[in-house]
Amino acid sequence: MNTEIFSNIGLTHYLVLAALLFVTGMAGVLLRRNVIVLLMSIELMLNSVNLTFVAFSKFLGILDGHIMVFFVMTIAAAEAAVGLALAVSIFKRFNEVNIRFFEHLKG
Amino acid sequence: MTADAFLFWFLAIVTLVSGLSVILMSNPIYSALCLAMTMVGISALFVTLNAYFIAGVQLIVYAGAVMVLFVMVIMLFDLKKDLQAFTRGRFTGAVKIASVGLLAGLVVGAIAMSVGLLNEKTTDNPVLVGTGMESTKALGNILFSKYILGFEALGILLLVIAVGAVALARSKGGTHEH
Repeated sequence: MNTEIFSNIGLTHYLVLAALLFVTGMAGVLLRRNVIVLLMSIELMLNSVNLTFVAFSKFLGILDGHIMVFFVMTIAAAEAAVGLALAVSIFKRFNEVNIRFFEHLKG
Repeated sequence: MTADAFLFWFLAIVTLVSGLSVILMSNPIYSALCLAMTMVGISALFVTLNAYFIAGVQLIVYAGAVMVLFVMVIMLFDLKKDLQAFTRGRFTGAVKIASVGLLAGLVVGAIAMSVGLLNEKTTDNPVLVGTGMESTKALGNILFSKYILGFEALGILLLVIAVGAVALARSKGGTHEH
């Protein structure tokens, strides 16, 4: 039994973990109907991308990845604020936050 | 097994399990709590990657501010029953899960195949290894010199988002009358 993969943590481990987290978030976006859970899944995907950036930044020795994580975090917070404001406006109208009510928003 | 490896596997399992719980819990408040757990796990993973400042920002911004925003909105909605939490249709659900699994296989396979190409690991770089203060100082230097334009643009973006969120929340919702 080769135990090298368990004891020697490298870039690959972080990348695979980030990929699995991203896929989890994508499954949430595809499968759930609740708008708030959808937004949470998007946050999950953004976080996994942040993990990829930091892992590459560490293993290449360049700090630019940290800056990119900074920007992604700010934009994710802004996106959550706007998405939740949209959800509040949907809920005020229909008393429900199901994703199928978004089709009523078109003018 | 060294302490580093044990820490990584522990954090990976915690993060993956709580990340899966986010999409599997049918009550949104449990999803929010699991998401907070995921954020804390990812922050700890940042610490294992020597990104101390990013880890702190992750805790403050995500596990603090964004999660409070989510929980406040969930409490506002009073969603006791989340009927039909998942999408309808057995066939479309199976197709979606299959496509997600396909993407996971593709990504993990691509990473596993490209491991040999990524062998220039410069982990002993003086910028990123240290007590953490050097890394934070270098981060500040680079943020306010090389990336100053992006930084200012982010400030404007945040202002626009604040105004837009208030305007959206004050509107009656929808764009046409019933």
